[in-house]
Amino acid sequence: MTYAQSLWGMYVRWAAAWPALSAFAPFVPLIALWGFVVWLELFPRVFLPGPFEVLQTSWSLLYKGILPAYLGDSMVRLAVGAAAGMALAIPLGIFIGLNQRAHDATWPVLLFFQAIGDIAWLPILLVWFGFGLTTMTFVIVYTVMFPVILNTVLGIRSARPELERAAQSLGASRTRILFEVTLPGALPNIITGLRNGLGYGWRALIAAEIIVGTSGIGFLMFDARRAGSVDEIVVGMIVLGILWYIVDSWILAPIERATGERWGLVTT
Amino acid sequence: MKNLSLENLSKTYFDPYAGTTVNAVQDVSLNVAAGEFVAVVGPSGCGKTTILNMIAGFVPISGGRVLVGGKEVKGPGPDRGVVFQSFALFPWKTVAENVTFGPKMRGVGKAERAKIAEEYLALAGLSHAADRYPNELSGGMQQRVGVVRALANNPDVLLMDEPFASVDAQTRMTLQEELTRIWEERRPTVIFITHDVAEAVFLANRVVVLSKGNVLEEVDIDLPRPRSWDRLVEDGDFKGLSNKVLQLVRSA
Repeated sequence: MTYAQSLWGMYVRWAAAWPALSAFAPFVPLIALWGFVVWLELFPRVFLPGPFEVLQTSWSLLYKGILPAYLGDSMVRLAVGAAAGMALAIPLGIFIGLNQRAHDATWPVLLFFQAIGDIAWLPILLVWFGFGLTTMTFVIVYTVMFPVILNTVLGIRSARPELERAAQSLGASRTRILFEVTLPGALPNIITGLRNGLGYGWRALIAAEIIVGTSGIGFLMFDARRAGSVDEIVVGMIVLGILWYIVDSWILAPIERATGERWGLVTT
Repeated sequence: MKNLSLENLSKTYFDPYAGTTVNAVQDVSLNVAAGEFVAVVGPSGCGKTTILNMIAGFVPISGGRVLVGGKEVKGPGPDRGVVFQSFALFPWKTVAENVTFGPKMRGVGKAERAKIAEEYLALAGLSHAADRYPNELSGGMQQRVGVVRALANNPDVLLMDEPFASVDAQTRMTLQEELTRIWEERRPTVIFITHDVAEAVFLANRVVVLSKGNVLEEVDIDLPRPRSWDRLVEDGDFKGLSNKVLQLVRSA
């Protein structure tokens, strides 16, 4: 008991010093289980490589420069697509959120096209634009747009009316109310939209790379399947997970902490 | 500070579910002199908040007029500062930014705004909280910000809609004492809506009792100032006036 306690105490102190440790710790039993299943040899090694082989493969992919290059390609595609998607979606969401008529006119259409998710567009896009960057960009922009539009509209429409009244009584014009009251109030919802949009966009990108692919993480995984190297597929899967964790906890979570949570609009 | 007058103010609205027309406020006329503190009391549904919302310009007027300094009111405007029951502070602005929101909308420069913030936060005893966000403050502190935010914009009339109804009893008494102190210092024209009879008598020069959308009676409160609960809680005149107003409200 005391031994376990001192181990636990050590872990708590270490985790406080290196926050990355507390993010990694939950994976330790998972990796151990994986290693154990491989060790039992329930499956042939070529079907299920062990943690150590995967680590070796990722090192060699890194060393040859394939992994960094493909990772860079995927990230640039996501960044460009997400930026374009947000640039379209946020103003559109604000407009629809503010204008009841625009809302009535577009809402059913938005819900309709939201349902035709990302990869359901791929067949027709391949016919129209072929296997290329246009198709991939379209899919990402499309996927990012809908959650951002829908959440922006929600944020604008759920503004507290007494805040608008307070601003009016303090002499604010319509435009000032939009920028000082309505938009900051909608910001937590807009950020939620971005988080969902980026998450969906990331998945859509991998799917698009698998089908369209000439480079990128999705292409790496699908190409490895052709060559029969399962360890490279697993490397791709792990990279996807790590990357999303980084985007979420290093970019999105700090933004949320600095805005909605700080203002008491979002309870943690 | 200017005077405020309500001339035959009425509010009717159609209830689509009941299929009837409701007269929320009928022919209310009231004159509030410049620098006077008038409290409006009455049971729930007597139309007191509707009157305030019409004065503030938040809801359309069905009949009659609202005049501030002789000028008819059309829609909300900075001449009528409002203090809300729900505080209605901007959560994404610091206390100082909330207090100087009105001046900022008027185009007052940064240096001048800093001075205004300093002055009014000192008035509310909130100088230490200038850079905090509203959700980091207690309810009582939030409403202190709400009061000085309205005052810092130099309104002609201050409209207060049950401002202390959502804070605890002890804090409420403190806020009431602070409000009388601020009123004595600055002499704003105030319309104060409340359902708390003791609060109305404690704060006001005159208490207006409403009943079913009409003015039932007006009671002058000539208690000496400065007023404090320590003195008034056992004061015979205060008790007498409170009882009188309470009887009126209960008969309303």
